[in-house]
Amino acid sequence: MTPLPNPELRSQVIAIYKQLLYLGRNYPQGYNYFRSRLHRAFMAKAGLTDDTAIKEGIAKADFVRKEIEAL
Amino acid sequence: MLRTAILRSAAAATRVAVRPVPQIASRVTIAPVMRTTSFAPKAVAWQGIRCYAAGGSLDKEEVYERIRQLLAAFDKVNDPKNIKETAHFSNDLGLDSLDTVEVVMAIEEEFSIEIPDKDADNIHSIDKAVEYILSQPDAY
Repeated sequence: MTPLPNPELRSQVIAIYKQLLYLGRNYPQGYNYFRSRLHRAFMAKAGLTDDTAIKEGIAKADFVRKEIEAL
Repeated sequence: MLRTAILRSAAAATRVAVRPVPQIASRVTIAPVMRTTSFAPKAVAWQGIRCYAAGGSLDKEEVYERIRQLLAAFDKVNDPKNIKETAHFSNDLGLDSLDTVEVVMAIEEEFSIEIPDKDADNIHSIDKAVEYILSQPDAY
């Protein structure tokens, strides 16, 4: 495994990913649609190494989580 | 007339209620030590409950088989033929780190346990997952 920039942030990212996956269970267009989109969105940011950039990503994910909760 | 009907139904009810007990007792092999103790009738009931809770431990083959089926149903695995007991999630099955998170979540659900993040990080391969499940007394 490649050395990770920040294990603390890594676990945060994984936690929000899990939360979003649970929320996507009853997404209108289907769970598989949601899952593949979510996966792509997270993968697009997989190369981030800068702490502040990762924190921004987590904040964005948190925003999306609230949006889905409001559905 | 009414009284006999009530008596009959009550008798039938007790017969029904009583019948399952010997059935359970016959399935349970009571240890000889228990039979000689003074609370033998209680021991039968206790054994019955014990019987219900027993059998919770999983064997390695079953755990592997259930994980294999779970992965076979997972559409991102590159080739179901690659699912072997020592297969590594990312090296052999073509899964990335997020897929691994999903697999671990599916395993959590399959075995009704919660895997803490620090343990989930160490599950990179099928044999690691099997090993972890076997080390969890709550898994079933």
